[in-house]
Amino acid sequence: MAGSVFSYSTLIQAVVTGNRTKSVELVNEALREGVRPQDIVSSGLQAGMRIVGDKFSAGDFFVPEMLLAARAVTRATEVLQPHLSAVDMPTLGRVVLGTVFGDIHDIGKNLVTMFLRGAGFEVFDLGVNIPADSFVKAVKEHNPDILGMSALLTTTMSSMSNIIKALEIAGLRSRVKVIVGGAPVTQHFAEHMGADGYGADGGSAIRLCRHLVGK
Amino acid sequence: MAITEKQRILAAARKQAVDKLPFGARIDVWYNYHAGHDTLPEKYRGWSIPDILRDQGAGIELRHGYLWKVEYRDTEVVVCKDPPFTTTEYRTPKGTVSMKTMFTPQEGPWVPYELELPFKSADDYPAIEHLLENTVLVPYLDDYLKKVEMVGEDGMVICSAPEYSPMQEIMRKIMGYEMFFYELNDHPSKVEHLYELMKGVVWQKLKILAESPVEMPMVCGNWSDDIHTPVFRKYFVPWFQEVGEFLHSKGKLTLAHIDGEMKRLIPMFLETGIDVAEAWSPAPMTSVTTTELRKAWGNKVTIWGGVPAILFEPQYSDEEFDAYVKHLLQEIAPGYNFIVGMGDNLAFDGKIERVSRIAELIDKYGRLPIEI
Repeated sequence: MAGSVFSYSTLIQAVVTGNRTKSVELVNEALREGVRPQDIVSSGLQAGMRIVGDKFSAGDFFVPEMLLAARAVTRATEVLQPHLSAVDMPTLGRVVLGTVFGDIHDIGKNLVTMFLRGAGFEVFDLGVNIPADSFVKAVKEHNPDILGMSALLTTTMSSMSNIIKALEIAGLRSRVKVIVGGAPVTQHFAEHMGADGYGADGGSAIRLCRHLVGK
Repeated sequence: MAITEKQRILAAARKQAVDKLPFGARIDVWYNYHAGHDTLPEKYRGWSIPDILRDQGAGIELRHGYLWKVEYRDTEVVVCKDPPFTTTEYRTPKGTVSMKTMFTPQEGPWVPYELELPFKSADDYPAIEHLLENTVLVPYLDDYLKKVEMVGEDGMVICSAPEYSPMQEIMRKIMGYEMFFYELNDHPSKVEHLYELMKGVVWQKLKILAESPVEMPMVCGNWSDDIHTPVFRKYFVPWFQEVGEFLHSKGKLTLAHIDGEMKRLIPMFLETGIDVAEAWSPAPMTSVTTTELRKAWGNKVTIWGGVPAILFEPQYSDEEFDAYVKHLLQEIAPGYNFIVGMGDNLAFDGKIERVSRIAELIDKYGRLPIEI
């Protein structure tokens, strides 16, 4: 467009560098220029978050960069929200996340929440210290595609198998894919307890969730 | 040559030769859970942690918190207990901040966990600064000394003193990791000022520690390389060098609790000069093997740990457990500057009998130098 100053690459760069002020400024500029809000999300914000996730998985980015990038996307999305509500924005899927009972660590879960939302998933974050029956209730209520459980302590990760059993008893296990993550959790542990997927880090969560919903 | 388990552990920490591998086992999470649920094995009901470990043939690692009580000048502290939650409000002339903790020892934890931290927004800097400027630590060693007597020569009591470096205190106890990184980005000079004030508080702890009988204090820990690597060189390495020089001059060793993912912190850890890396949790719980760690650190750091907590879980067979421990002994051969232990605890559903199995394997293969 003649006189256009907005470019997706600049927005992506703002997201990747965690510049929330610039991200918001560029989103406003894009809206002024008539760029479709759903395109700003997919080709700008989500594209930026994919780069951040890949850099994290590659070991080039750390949690601080992820946090700042996710915050930039959150702020930019707040600006877009009134415009998006008029658009039928498809979600990739619905995810319920929580840190298991007895565990109050949330940074990994929070990052996964931010990244999944940034990638286009609808996420219900239950918080921390969540007992098995609350996970079951949330699956009944929200009918998610994926249930994600986080634990940072070896003392609490065993709760994950209790939650899977609770889903079986409630007749819900076949309705939802279960993924697990957190520092002490391993692929071996995840397979042993019957989870459908294991996320080694926040960056890989998006790829795992996309794979599980077939997108 | 070393005789008692405590002497073995200290000798290994001091890079001195010992007769066999020291073993300092930690089981407080398992113990707290089963004592709280009245599910301790019949034999162990009413027993203490040290006595259970003695019965298992293991050396003892017993944890202790602080060596002081905390007071604040010119501050009203209001505590509201609603078990398992405790809310503490700090009413200062510069504003009021509060924190909320949860303590459920019957589920395993030996310390309260922070649910809500005092710093919630940039508006809280004045109140937090006031608290740090007006913190007074009063020495209190009674509980520590009781534990030392309980353990005797069969192991060590490891104190969380000072527990964390100044920046780790801010990251963990004042702001939380997420808020910390937002603030470091948005208000770096304010964070740096808090850091300087926190140094003053931690130095109070170090001076109490210096006059205490604690041999090997925990100077920091609970790191994860995806969180700490970007700030470690600037805020952690120089601090530990300075603290190490001070504590070494007082005849003490320094210990860090390395229970997280350490891969990208391994090179910088060597620069810290910390003597002992405890709670070493190798693969499969983290991405680093003991072989890789030993190769990186050589004999400059004594490692305490090596058997990841997950190996004690029932999902691993006895045969797999034995194979892991034997492999560990091969990895560390000839075995000097190493203390076998958990990475970092025995979980509530861990098999207690595997503690004695480690002791048996050390008796069989752990005479130094190891030739397995």
